[in-house]
Amino acid sequence: MRVLRYIAMRFAFAVPQLFGVALGAFFLLKLIPGDPAPMMLGPLATQVAVDKLRAEMGLDQPLPTQFVAYLGRLLHGDLGRSWQTTNPVLTDLAQRLPATLELVTLSLLIAVAIGVTLGLLAGRRPNGIAARIADAYSVAAGALPDFWLALVLIFIFYSVFNVVPPPIGRLDFAVLPPATVTGSYTLDALFAGDLVLFRAAAAQLVLPVATLAIIYIVPVLTMTRTAVERLNEADFIRFADAKGLTPGRVSRHALRNALPAVVTVIGVLYGTLVGSVVLVEVVFAWGGAGQYAVSAVLNADINASLGFILMAAVISLAVNLIVDLIALAIDPRARI
Amino acid sequence: MPHTLPGAHAVSRRSLLKYGAAAGAFAAAPGFSGSAFAQARAKTLVIAAPATPLSLDVENSLSLGTIDTVAAFYDYLIAFNTLPDPAVPGVMREDLAANPSLPGGYNLKGKLAESWEFAPDGKSARFTLRKGVLSNWGNELTAEDVKYTFDRKFEVKGAGSFMTFVMGLPNKDAVKVESKYVVSFTLEKPNPILMIVSGHLANPIFDSVKCKQMSTPDDPWARKFLDTNVAGFGPYALKSITRGQQLVAAARPEYYGEKPYFETVIFREVPASATRLQLLQGGAVDIAQALSPTEMKSLAGSAGATVTSIKASQMLWVELNTAFKPLDNAKVRQALNFAMPKDEVISTILQGFGTKMTAFMPDFYPGATSKFYAYDFNIAKAKALLAEAGFPNGFSTTLTYNAGNPTEEPIAIMYQTALKQIGVTVELKKLPAGTFFNALTTRSEPMIFNLDAPWTPDPGFALNLYFYSKSFVNFSNYVNADVDALIVESLSTLDEPKRMTAVTKAQQILADDAPWTLIANPGFHLSHGKDIGGIVYYTSNRLNFQDYKRV
Amino acid sequence: MSDTEPAAAGRSFEANRAGGGDISAAAPAREFCAFLRERPSFLAGYVIILAVAATGLLAPLLPLHSPVDADAKAYLIAPDWSHPMGTDSAGLDIFSRVLHAPRVDLAIALVSTLWAALIGGALGAYVGLREGAGGVRGVLATLLVRVADVVQAFPVFALALVLVAVLGQGVTSIIIAIGVVNVPIYLRLMRGEALIIRNQGYVEAARIAGAGDAYLLTRHVVPNAAAPILAQMSINTGVAVLLAASLSFIGAGVRAPTPEWGSMIAMGFQNVVTGQWWPSIFPGLALALTVFGLGRIGASILAWSNPRERARPSRRAWKAFAGARSR
Repeated sequence: MRVLRYIAMRFAFAVPQLFGVALGAFFLLKLIPGDPAPMMLGPLATQVAVDKLRAEMGLDQPLPTQFVAYLGRLLHGDLGRSWQTTNPVLTDLAQRLPATLELVTLSLLIAVAIGVTLGLLAGRRPNGIAARIADAYSVAAGALPDFWLALVLIFIFYSVFNVVPPPIGRLDFAVLPPATVTGSYTLDALFAGDLVLFRAAAAQLVLPVATLAIIYIVPVLTMTRTAVERLNEADFIRFADAKGLTPGRVSRHALRNALPAVVTVIGVLYGTLVGSVVLVEVVFAWGGAGQYAVSAVLNADINASLGFILMAAVISLAVNLIVDLIALAIDPRARI
Repeated sequence: MPHTLPGAHAVSRRSLLKYGAAAGAFAAAPGFSGSAFAQARAKTLVIAAPATPLSLDVENSLSLGTIDTVAAFYDYLIAFNTLPDPAVPGVMREDLAANPSLPGGYNLKGKLAESWEFAPDGKSARFTLRKGVLSNWGNELTAEDVKYTFDRKFEVKGAGSFMTFVMGLPNKDAVKVESKYVVSFTLEKPNPILMIVSGHLANPIFDSVKCKQMSTPDDPWARKFLDTNVAGFGPYALKSITRGQQLVAAARPEYYGEKPYFETVIFREVPASATRLQLLQGGAVDIAQALSPTEMKSLAGSAGATVTSIKASQMLWVELNTAFKPLDNAKVRQALNFAMPKDEVISTILQGFGTKMTAFMPDFYPGATSKFYAYDFNIAKAKALLAEAGFPNGFSTTLTYNAGNPTEEPIAIMYQTALKQIGVTVELKKLPAGTFFNALTTRSEPMIFNLDAPWTPDPGFALNLYFYSKSFVNFSNYVNADVDALIVESLSTLDEPKRMTAVTKAQQILADDAPWTLIANPGFHLSHGKDIGGIVYYTSNRLNFQDYKRV
Repeated sequence: MSDTEPAAAGRSFEANRAGGGDISAAAPAREFCAFLRERPSFLAGYVIILAVAATGLLAPLLPLHSPVDADAKAYLIAPDWSHPMGTDSAGLDIFSRVLHAPRVDLAIALVSTLWAALIGGALGAYVGLREGAGGVRGVLATLLVRVADVVQAFPVFALALVLVAVLGQGVTSIIIAIGVVNVPIYLRLMRGEALIIRNQGYVEAARIAGAGDAYLLTRHVVPNAAAPILAQMSINTGVAVLLAASLSFIGAGVRAPTPEWGSMIAMGFQNVVTGQWWPSIFPGLALALTVFGLGRIGASILAWSNPRERARPSRRAWKAFAGARSR
C-alpha cells in the first residue's frame, strides 16, 4: 500500500512538471526564427500557397490558441507532424527511440560491469593496484568530450586499422533490418534466429558503445567506490573482517549495501543519457532520437522538437521512479 | 570490401528473396558465386543519397530526392533531344540550340506527346498524345490526364503556380481537351518558351483516373496519396518508400518507351557524406551523391569508383540585397565582386571541381555571354571603388551561409578575410538548411549565399527568374526598369535575333549593376562505380537513373 | 521538501557536512598551498588551467599566423614547421587557433558559470529562507522551486540548443543558454544550505532576537554554502566548456571563424575519414586537457573542504560532474 501511495504521489508531482515542460518548450520553440510553411513548400512557393499552408497548419492562430490545440492533440496521443520528415512525430520517435535506447542500455551495462567491479576492488583496498588504476582512469576518461573521443576511435579503428565497420549507422548497408519486435536490431535478429544479422548489427554497435562506456564508467566507478569506502568503516563490515570471513564474502556484503547508491547513479545516468547521446549519434550517423532532435531544433521543426523534449522528460521521470523503487527494494535498511 | 562480415551474403540472399531487391554488398562480397544473384545485383542500381524525397509530389516539394526520382516515375509531354557532351566522352546532354525548322523552335522530341504544333503567333499549342500508353496503375493516357495535371496546379497552388505562370496559362480554361488524345494550350500573350517549359521537370503528367480514385472530400486532389505514392506514366513504378531510409523503384515492363537497363533502383538515405564515400569505395553502392570536393578528389586513386564532371547549370553566388545600405550602391556591389578570390576558392575549396562564374546565368545557355565580365580578384580596384562610392573606410555587414553545404563556410571565411583588406567587416552567420532557405526567400539578410540553377535553358527565363523586379526568386531585390523591359521583351517575342539582342543588353546592365557577387559554376559531378555508364546530363541537375547502365 | 520529491532530489547537491564544513572559508592560503603540494594530481589541474589561460591571454602577442584570416594558399596542409598543427579547409592555421581558443572557451565557461551561480545562489537563498512562509513571498518561493524543477526536467543539451536557436548564434547566446541550464543547480544548493541553517536552534534564537535576513545570509548561509558552491562552480566550468564545444560542434555555437575548440573539431569532422585528422584531433586534445584541469581543481576544492575525503575526488564531485555532463 505504501508503495502504491508513494508511486501515486510521484505521479502527482510528475504531471504538473510535464505540463511545465510542455508549456516552456512550446513557447520557447515558437520563438525560434523560421517559418515552417515556406520551408515545406520550397523556394518556388508562392505567397498564396504559403498562406494557405499556414492556415492549414493553424499557424495563423494566436500562440495561446495554438498551445491549447497542441495540448488537446497531445491528450489524444497526437504529437503532430514533423515538417522535415512529413511523418507523425510519434511514428518518427517510435522508429528512432529504440536505436537510442539500445545504444544507451548497452553502454551503461558495460559501464556498470566494469565500473562496479573496479569500484568494489578499489573501495575495498584504498591503497591497492585497483585503486590506482581507478584513480588514473577516472581523471583521464572523465575529461574526454564524447564526440571527440568518437572521432578518435573512428580514426584509429576504422581509418587506420580498419577492424570495425565504417560509422554508417545501425546496420551495414548490405543488410536489411530484421522484422521489428523490440526495435533493437540485435535482439530482433536473435528473435529471428539470424546470427549473421546479429553479428552485423553488433559490429556497428562496437564503436559507439565503446565511446559511451569509456566515459560513463567513470561516474559508476566513483559512486561504487565511495559507497564501498564508506562501508569499510561501518561496524558490520569491520565485524565481518574481524570475524575472518573470506574477502570475497565481505565484498559481497559491501556490494549489497552499496547497491542502492550505485543504482541511483545508474538511474540518473540512464534517464539523462537518453536525451544526451546526441553528439555520439551524430558522429556515427546513428539515426536515433537525439540526432532527430538536433536537426528538428536547428530547422525550426517545432512538433518534432517538442515531441523529443517531452519524451526525454517522461523517460527521465519514469527511470528515476523505477530506480528509486529498486533502490528501496534492495536497500537493507529499506523503509517507506 | 573489407567490412563485409563473413556470411553477409547469406543475409543478403535472404533479403533478396524476401524483398526482391538485391542488397548493396553483393558486388564486393568475396566468395559470392550464385550467378542468379549476381545477375540480380547487376540489374540493380544502388544510390547513396543525402536524403530520401520529402514528397513524391512536385506540387509539395522540389527537394533533392524528389528531383532525382520524379522523372523516373512520371513522364512528360516532350523533352529535349540529346547529343554527345563535347567535353566529356561517353556523356550525353540536352541539345539546347534553337531549331526553327521544328515546331516550337527547339530540338524537342516527343515523349507522351506523339506530335505537337506551336502557333506562329506564339499564343497556342496543341499536343497529340501517344495511344496505348499505360500508367503504373494500368490506366491509359488520355487528354483528360493532361487537363487534370494542370487543373491540379491551379487548385493546389503549390509549386505548380509558378509553372502555370511561366507557361503563361491565365486560368484552368486555357488547357482544353480537344479530343480523347488531343489537348491544347491557349495563352493571352505570345510565349517563346512555352514548348521548353512544357517539358520542365515540374510538369509531369498524372494518371487522373487513379488520382480521382484516391481523392477524398478533404483532399480532392489526392495530395496525401501522391505524397508517398506515384500515379504516372514513367519508366519505373514505386515499390516502396520509407522516408529517412530508402526508396525502391522497379522498372515497368509495360512502359511504352525504351526499357531502362536497371530493373531495380534502391535510393538509400545516407546522411553523412563521408559514409556515402565509403560505401561507394567499398562497392556497396553504385552512386554516391553530394560528396564534398575533397571526398571526390580522394576517389582519384580508387580502383572501382570515379567522378564524372560535367558542365552544369548550377551557380554559386552571393546575393547582394539592394534593400540594405550600402548595398544599394552599385559601386559598392562592384567592389564586393572584385574582393571575391574566385580562382583560389575554385582551386582550393572546390578542389578544381568547378569553373569561375563569369555570367549571370549558366554560361552554356543560348544567349549567355561573359564578355561584360570584369570581376577577377582585384583588391586595389575594390578599394578604389569603395572610396568612389563614399566608403573609403569600408563598412560593416553580415554574410549568411548554409550549414548544409560544407563548402560555403570556408568560402565565407576566405571572403571575409579578403573583405577585411578593403575595410569591409562582415560577420558570418551560419544557418541550418531549413532556416537558411527561409532567410533567403524572405530576403532578410544583406548578403547571403545562393546555390541554384534556372532549370529551363533559356536566357529570358533565367534573367526573368533572378532579375525581374517582381520575380519572387529575385532575392537581391534588384530593380532596374531597363532590365525589366528587356526581360519582358525577350519573353514576349518569337523573333530569335531580337530576343538575343535583348538578353545581351540586359546582361551588360547586370554586369555593371552587379547584384550578385559571382563565385563559381560548381558543375555536376556524379561519383559512381566505374562500371556505370549511359550518363545523360539535364539542366535540372537531376540524377536520371533511367538512362544509366552497367558497362 | 522531502527526499521523496521526484527527479531533482536525486540529483540535487545536498550539503555534505561531514567534518565541519566551514573550514575552507577561513582557511589561510598558505595551508591550501601546502595541501596542494602534497597532492600533485590536484596541483596539475591548477598548472594546466593557468597555462591554458596564459596561452589564451598571450596568444595575440605571440608570433603566430592569424587565427581568423584565411590563407587561400594553405589549404588542408598537414602539420609542418610553418603550421605545427596543420591548416584546415579554409586555410586557417590550427596551432594559432588552438592557442587563441581559450579566450572564447574559458570566457564562455567562466562567465556562464559565474552568472548562473550568482543568480541561482541569490534565488536559492531567497527560496530557502521564505519557502513555506505563507503570503506572496512564500508562494513566489514555491513557484521558483517548481520552475527550477521544470528546467531540470528538460534534457539539458536540447534546452541549451533551443535557447541558442532562439537567441541566435554567438558567444552571448551560449553564455545565456549554459547559464540558464545551470541556475537550478545553484538554486537547489543554496536553498539546501538555507533550509538547514533556518532550522537550527541558534538561528531561530537569533531570529527571535530580531536578526534580519541579511544577517542570516551573510553570517550563516553564505559562509556555509561557499565551499560546496565553489566546488560546484569549478566542476561546472569544465562541464560548461564541454557544453559550449558541443553546441559549436553541431553548428549552434560561435560564429565562424571565431577560434573555438568545438567548432574546430566540427569543421575538421568531415576530413577525418578521408585521412586529414589534424583539424579535429588537436583542438580535441586541448579541450580534453582543459576539462581535465578544471575537474582537478573542482576535486581539490571538494577534498579541501572535506578532510575525510581529501585523498581523492569525492562522490559528490563525480556525481555532480557525471550528472551534469551527461545531460
